[in-house]
Amino acid sequence: MNRWTFRRILLALLGLWLLTSVYIVPADQQALETRFGMVVSPRVMPGIHFSLPWPIDRITKLKVQQLQRLVVGGDLSDGVLGRTQPLASQFLTGDQNIINMRVVVQYSVGLPADYLFQAQDVAKAVGAAVEAELARRISRRSVDAILTTEKAAIQEEVRAAAQKRINEYRTGVLISTVNIEAVTPPPEAADAFRDVASARADSARIVNEAQGYANDVIPKARGQAQQALEAAAAYKQRKTNEALGDAARFTQVAAEYERASAVNGRRLYLETMEQILPRIKKLIVDPSGNLDLTIIRKGSEPRNPQ
Amino acid sequence: MKLTTTHYRAAAAVALLIFLWLTFFAVRETEFVLVTQFGKPVRTIAQAGLHLKWFFQTANYFDRRLRIYNPRPSEFLSRDKKNLVIESYVAWKIQDPKRFVETVGDPVAAEMRLHDIVWSGLAAVLGTHDLDSMVSTSPEKIQAQQVLDDLTASTDRAALTQYGIQVIDVRIKRLNLPEQNKQSVYARMRAERERIARQYRAEGEEQALRIRADADRQKEEILSVAYKEAEKTKGEGDAESTRIYSQAYSRNPRFYKLLRTLEAYKKIFDDKTTAILSSDSELLKIMMRGESGVQ
Repeated sequence: MNRWTFRRILLALLGLWLLTSVYIVPADQQALETRFGMVVSPRVMPGIHFSLPWPIDRITKLKVQQLQRLVVGGDLSDGVLGRTQPLASQFLTGDQNIINMRVVVQYSVGLPADYLFQAQDVAKAVGAAVEAELARRISRRSVDAILTTEKAAIQEEVRAAAQKRINEYRTGVLISTVNIEAVTPPPEAADAFRDVASARADSARIVNEAQGYANDVIPKARGQAQQALEAAAAYKQRKTNEALGDAARFTQVAAEYERASAVNGRRLYLETMEQILPRIKKLIVDPSGNLDLTIIRKGSEPRNPQ
Repeated sequence: MKLTTTHYRAAAAVALLIFLWLTFFAVRETEFVLVTQFGKPVRTIAQAGLHLKWFFQTANYFDRRLRIYNPRPSEFLSRDKKNLVIESYVAWKIQDPKRFVETVGDPVAAEMRLHDIVWSGLAAVLGTHDLDSMVSTSPEKIQAQQVLDDLTASTDRAALTQYGIQVIDVRIKRLNLPEQNKQSVYARMRAERERIARQYRAEGEEQALRIRADADRQKEEILSVAYKEAEKTKGEGDAESTRIYSQAYSRNPRFYKLLRTLEAYKKIFDDKTTAILSSDSELLKIMMRGESGVQ
């Protein structure tokens, strides 16, 4: 081994060493540069960059945009595998009911320097803060409010409060969402809760049925009323017209009658007699003679011959 | 082997490297360094970067980052004698490495001390507060935040002076009831739900009955109003026809009497009627007497 070869090897090693001062930050990442452990560039944006060679400067790259997921309460994978941690998901509500909850937190890196150097276990800190704020919100609401109307409000309140809390811890994390994935009554009382839901449905159903009854009865009554009114109007019309007709006819006939009342009176009389006398039994007696009424009895009771 | 100049130079270089190695040391952002001299702490370095010490001194590294400690869930008794299982967490970090190493030494021991402080703090707090002040639907009763802020402050004071530990936060992660109390809670929850379900059903029934009764009332009202109107209209018709008849008939009452009487005869007499007619009557006079009967 001669002196030249030795120098070349040294030069090559030196070159390689100097190469460690060049680094590339990919588009989805940010980097942080430390010199002997001290932060010199807290936020290096994507691109090609230079630093002092290793081990003086060190580069840590972080996927800052990437959302990280954290489950508070019953673990998702446990649920899938059929194992449950009942205690981990139980919370006490303001009206001292127990409910099970599962909350999913999504967060990203806000401040890389804080994220990397200020907390031993960032996920644990975020989880603890979210859980504490969640427990606090739940402990002042009734179980009905939590199960129905207040879910969105709780999510937003927890997100804001937990963000404030972890800012105090300087974890450098931005919470993007706190999402209540599941909120269920405990299995021991689940059927009673279901019964409340069905009672609500039952109640709505019978109210609907009553409404349906009303919607059926009232229009029918209106129809009947209209019918009665129309019938009455028709009756009035008929009576009036009949009267007018009868009156007109009478007036006409009366005018003719007046012209020769004796003849017309007799004619009308005789016409009527013609109509009625054929139908009836007739006994003709002399006005001077006495009438033996037994003939009437005989005539009317022929089946009684005593 | 004979020592040459080259050998001396190499040895000097190695000695220098070792000297530099013992003299310079880097402190990272995540650490405190406590420099000790033969075991005796001489100074604390909190500033990250490159630092110097004598080669006979030792650099001791301490993680200065925030830690989350979860004490085991413990059962506490509130002032109104109710059991409550509290799961808390403590956010803490080493603040004074010198004091820390002198009093507790390592994080596990530190967390045991924190456990004692927090446990006794929580026990004292709950002993003077009702369950209502931790769990309630009326927000004005709840004092949990104030209580925990106070507990954090007192824990921090105690831990800092005694162990060189900064306590950033003591919070309750979970409030729960002891297992043996849960069955009765479930029973109460069920009873409460049953009550609510009954209430819903009864309220639905009430509303339905009200709607039905209202519908029936409306129906009666509509029909009776219609009856009233209809009868009125019919009466008008009757009155009108009566007026028309009387107007027409009163112009010729004699003829009306004749006509109407003859009409009535037609209806009055049927085949069951027996008429005894006088041969002297107007109708039969002619039959009996011939033409002389005309007059």
